Amino acid sequence: MRWLDSFAESSTRTMANRTSRRGFLGSIGAFLIGTSAQLLLPVARGAHAADSQGAAKPGGAKPDNSQDPTSCEYWRHCAIDGYLCGCCGGSQTACPPGTEQSAVTWVGTCHNPADGRDYVVSYNDCCGKSTCGRCLCNRNERDTPLYAPFESNDYNWCSGSSKANIPYHCSTARIVAVAK
Amino acid sequence: MTMKASAFARPGSIAVALLLALGYLTAWAVPPPLPADPLGTVVSLPPASPHWVWVNDFVFPHMADGQALLLDGDNGHFLGMLSTGYGFSRLVLAKDGKLVFSPETYFSRGTRGTRTDVVTMYDPTRLAPVGEITIPPKRSSNMPMMGDAELTDDGRFLLIYNFTPAQSVTVVDAQSHKLAGEIETAGCALVYPTGPRSFFSICADGSLLNVHLDNSGRATARVRTARMFDVAKDPVTEKGVRIGDAWQFVSYGAVMYPVEITKDGGLLPGTTWPLVTPAERAEQWRPGGLQQLAAHTGLNRLYAIMHRGGPETHKDPGKDVWVYDLARHARIQQIAMKNPSGSIQVTRDPQPLLFSACIESTTLDVYDATTGAWLRSVQNVGTTPTLLITP
Repeated sequence: MRWLDSFAESSTRTMANRTSRRGFLGSIGAFLIGTSAQLLLPVARGAHAADSQGAAKPGGAKPDNSQDPTSCEYWRHCAIDGYLCGCCGGSQTACPPGTEQSAVTWVGTCHNPADGRDYVVSYNDCCGKSTCGRCLCNRNERDTPLYAPFESNDYNWCSGSSKANIPYHCSTARIVAVAK
Repeated sequence: MTMKASAFARPGSIAVALLLALGYLTAWAVPPPLPADPLGTVVSLPPASPHWVWVNDFVFPHMADGQALLLDGDNGHFLGMLSTGYGFSRLVLAKDGKLVFSPETYFSRGTRGTRTDVVTMYDPTRLAPVGEITIPPKRSSNMPMMGDAELTDDGRFLLIYNFTPAQSVTVVDAQSHKLAGEIETAGCALVYPTGPRSFFSICADGSLLNVHLDNSGRATARVRTARMFDVAKDPVTEKGVRIGDAWQFVSYGAVMYPVEITKDGGLLPGTTWPLVTPAERAEQWRPGGLQQLAAHTGLNRLYAIMHRGGPETHKDPGKDVWVYDLARHARIQQIAMKNPSGSIQVTRDPQPLLFSACIESTTLDVYDATTGAWLRSVQNVGTTPTLLITP
């Protein structure tokens, strides 16, 4: 089903580039192939601090972790839900050894404070092993319920057309394009 | 005074002598040795109490080891558990209480290999499998939701949501214990029963797919309603609850959207009403959590987990549960929770309990659902508790 995966990736990128986030939602309608998400823990935004590098400084101001890929506060993670692959032997763009990156994906639109731009971010899951268990992160900016899958981070997108089928390991946060 | 007499006169020596004498007496009072224990004794449970609760747990750190844990709310006792496979969502209790249905996924090599999906049937007194029904290996893997699997109102058909990402519903005959078929629901998700032979799914554009079945479990009608929710402006969560002939959904912005079931099997939008006052809305009070609503049909009450935060906090737990009279759409109680709550459930009996759990905690809290009084907390319940289900 590689053709399907490639088609899905292409479709997602094309539509995300030419439409706003809400426009994307409205225009895609029931066409679900090519969107994605990842498993989540719904309330884990605070949990990341325990094992990421972004723990608050005792008695000090909250550090700016918006450029730290292992922090839940990393700017690309505005709508992520799962274990950060950068803490699991991979990176924000690459899967850890021995896993497979799901080609289907859902996209978020995140603001990069470093350059002032909004980017379309694709949260491809890495699949084929048990959960990584490190740097759990859940942020829900513009997240939608399960009935709107293309903007919901509550699905495990290691399923379906991915060769790895269901086992979920961690999540990446790839830049697709500058949001227009 | 001789040396011997002097020794006995010391207080310490007297104590030693008394202890020796007591030892002799005690030896005569020792009970007989304990008998050998029988081998192979296994506990069976009595019929389910209305105050029992199943705590579903998809065990996020080790997803191949899904679990469902059974506890007694009256005393906090842990009664037993089920092992329910990979990416577990929820149990479905047979209407007559004689079986527990569990949609499950297994891989032939644990986390790899051939995938097999089944509905395992468990004996509710022995908590042991008594059979299984093989279903298409496409059960949706998502954050557990009650709408992942439900029985029709008469208990005849078990409906299971599929996502591959093509969307459909597997229909299992819960009477003959055979696969009945599969119904395509393209663009629409989850299952919400509306009668003995009907259910709906929520569609991405805010409409509903109203599906009617025949006695073999095949779809006889699939009708899309007009849009009932504005998904772009203020989406309702998929975490609705059924009370009588209406499903109650709540939006991110704390507005209730009832879906009424008409006598001819149609679906109509009910009158919307807010959970919060304008002042509370200004303070950003809103519902949150994984199982953020619960209901008691007899009391006609709705329970909602509430917190303060922006729209992106719609999954956050809350420290408050607000209670509403559904007849008047009026808040009648505010319960301050002992611990952050992400999942709530109310028992069905006239003296109901309110259960509360949170996916980030392993504590199950029990309250009196009418007074709001905290009754007890049970520690070490599961790993990542998700959905609470009562008999």
